[in-house]
Amino acid sequence: MSQAAKLRGTLLTFGAALSAALALIALIMLSLDKAPLAAAQRFLEGAIGTPSARADVIMAALPMLLCAAGLLLTFTAGLWNIGVEGQVTMGAIFATIIARTIPRDVSDWGALAALILPAELLLAMLGGALWAGLVALLKIRGGINEIFGGVALNFISVNILLSLVNGPWRVGTFPQTAPFAPAALLPRQADLRLSPLGIAIALIAFAVVFMALRGTRFGLQLRAIGRNAKSAGILGVRVERNIFWALVVCGALAGLAGAFQVLFTRGRLLPNISGGIGFMGVLIVLLTGVRAAWVLPVTLFIATVPIGSLKLATSLDSAVQIDAALGNVFQSALVLAVLIGGGIRARLAARRKERAEHG
Amino acid sequence: MHVELKDITKTFGTLRANDSLTLSFAEGRIYALLGENGAGKSTLMKILSGYQPPDSGTIFIDGRAVTFQTPADALQCGIGMLHQDPLDVPNLTVLDNFMLGRREGLLPKRKAARQALTAHATRLGFEIDPFRYVDSLTIGERQQLEIVRLLSLGARLLILDEPTTGISAEQKHMLFSALKRLAAEEGMTVILVSHKLEDVAALCQEVYVLRGGKLVGHRHMPTPIDELVTLMFGQSLPRPTRGAHNLGAEILRAESVSLTARRLTVRDLSLSVRSGEVIGLAGLDGSGQSDFLRACAGLQPLNGGRILIAGVPIHGKGYAELLRMGVAYAPSGRLEEGLVDGLTLSEHFALTTNNGLWINWRAANALAARQIARYNIRGAPHSPIQTLSGGNQQRTLIALLPENLRLLLLEDPTRGLDVESTAWVWQQLLARRDQGAAILFTSPDLDEIVTYSDRVLVFCEGRATLVEDLDDSARNPAERLGELIGGKRT
Repeated sequence: MSQAAKLRGTLLTFGAALSAALALIALIMLSLDKAPLAAAQRFLEGAIGTPSARADVIMAALPMLLCAAGLLLTFTAGLWNIGVEGQVTMGAIFATIIARTIPRDVSDWGALAALILPAELLLAMLGGALWAGLVALLKIRGGINEIFGGVALNFISVNILLSLVNGPWRVGTFPQTAPFAPAALLPRQADLRLSPLGIAIALIAFAVVFMALRGTRFGLQLRAIGRNAKSAGILGVRVERNIFWALVVCGALAGLAGAFQVLFTRGRLLPNISGGIGFMGVLIVLLTGVRAAWVLPVTLFIATVPIGSLKLATSLDSAVQIDAALGNVFQSALVLAVLIGGGIRARLAARRKERAEHG
Repeated sequence: MHVELKDITKTFGTLRANDSLTLSFAEGRIYALLGENGAGKSTLMKILSGYQPPDSGTIFIDGRAVTFQTPADALQCGIGMLHQDPLDVPNLTVLDNFMLGRREGLLPKRKAARQALTAHATRLGFEIDPFRYVDSLTIGERQQLEIVRLLSLGARLLILDEPTTGISAEQKHMLFSALKRLAAEEGMTVILVSHKLEDVAALCQEVYVLRGGKLVGHRHMPTPIDELVTLMFGQSLPRPTRGAHNLGAEILRAESVSLTARRLTVRDLSLSVRSGEVIGLAGLDGSGQSDFLRACAGLQPLNGGRILIAGVPIHGKGYAELLRMGVAYAPSGRLEEGLVDGLTLSEHFALTTNNGLWINWRAANALAARQIARYNIRGAPHSPIQTLSGGNQQRTLIALLPENLRLLLLEDPTRGLDVESTAWVWQQLLARRDQGAAILFTSPDLDEIVTYSDRVLVFCEGRATLVEDLDDSARNPAERLGELIGGKRT
């Protein structure tokens, strides 16, 4: 099949899946006596109607993009790094180790002040990488599937987080740390909630992953492992070593996403700090069929959903006011529909091929 | 039941495995389907038993045209096939295996099944304990179980694929007399697929001979053996003579190796292989020969003993490390473990060249193009590997082997290849040998083992016996190996 026909097929599948997911949402809204069309208009306004809304979408997309970039590596190698949630959480915790100790006034720190942010980010990456490294060791040395190891470590990371914010790091009545000092946070523009430095970091990380998959031996080896690890081994690829590094790099990027959550989105450490962005990354990579080139637009698209549905949830107009959870329903329905569409396409292609061969 | 095959044609790529074959099998008669390896016997029987559809042609049962989607369809029409390696589930009991495939609703009737099993077995003169586990049975006993199972499911035509490989003389006698009784008393039709002429002479009434996918003869027994041989091979082939070549230093040494194979444990295997030597590993499927190859490649752990490559113990080294020491392993499942489905030829060559962070795609493409020309592969650098035919995949696998190897470990290197590709593959392998590589290979084809091996290691029931004097003995070497494989001591 030609490239153009393939692209057309992909867009067609995505369009059909999107329509199906939207139809489902419309049905749910109608059954609740809400007005779907008005809600859709309100959603779009809320998500992309104003500069500040657009800035919110971009900033919400960054941690998802970081997770998705890391997951591109693991999915390419055929690994289901479900532990990405825990890796985000550990990144947030590790960034907090430094962030919570930074005083409000660092004017007398001099050049040292410039090192605060890099140190936080590096430590966050170390935390995520450590957690992913555990998943990798469990898999390689212990023969434990990365999904089971990841789920277990997700639970552990959540409990570490809760014990910290309920215990030694708790400030005030709620289980959370105090707001971090400005010097500890990602610098942001005064007028919009936008951080050019954050955007640059996420885009560079994504570009590095993109190029690694495209042009490096590491990327080719991951592809070979993902398609057939046994054969890759026979061709001389060190399968275990590559699996280890794919997971560790993914963990580091997820840790960075965790740092974004505490140093930008929330400005402090609190329970459920990840807010599911790791899983969102999984959804994004599944939506793109593990094709790196599609990750950026799809991430932006997915990031409009929480922003837009938050506007719906806080609306005073009862005809469109609806819980933000509907956004999650929409995202999941979309992923399912795209996966089903992909399956249908593969079946049609097989049938077409069969017919071509026999006739 | 009268079965007719009319104009059956089946092609694989450019190979016409079955070329417009028309055969007829009458009720109550015992037929032989003769032919050398690759003559198209298995293809035809797989078509008749529903494992694969023909490209064209029709199967008639009692004059009625039938088509089979699955082996279960064929069995419903009364056609049952006994495979060379019986298709049973080893960790179930005899009775459980017997009940598999019976359509009798949610709750199986164990008691009735046990009675049916015993009744069928007694009728045939077999003794099978319903409560033994299948993995404790010999091949011969598993065959008996499978025959009983097929009969109870209503088979009226039995296809037996090389049934006498690996069973004792007594079991063979029992099998043959049961088959004769079934044919004479119950009108069972039997098709024996074999290349063993003495079996054909002992059992069959009529013989069909295939050669190169075509039907070249139909004879009623008795027919002189010489005539059948001429039909099978065209003319009697002289055994190729081996040119003298020099043996070098010791490359591989196995010291009282013990390892676990699929069904048994191989114990106390010792072997020394020198550069320039070709060792054939013979044995029934799953007797440990493939496992020994994998162990030499560092892909399977040993229970005991040790393996040394050029004096260095390989314990703890992975395959990637051994590959750099000049050891290469080529498995028989090309797309399962050897080539990566979905990657192009260039990408495969890029994977095997180990240098630098970035891939030099221009160099990889050039290397692919060079190897394609040199190894006569039908494909382009950008062809995905799964679009190549089996023969071309095998050529690619050999083209991917690094230069200057010291030890080549090959699992059934010519599996599924036609005669021409087989000859080509061996030409390449022997060229490697002449450059000083030692070769260990397995093959289910004894003729291939006899033709290319300097020495043969025969695996049987957990023992590995080295046969050094293939040529010296007055007897047919393939026959001698066959007896060793079947457990007969010489």
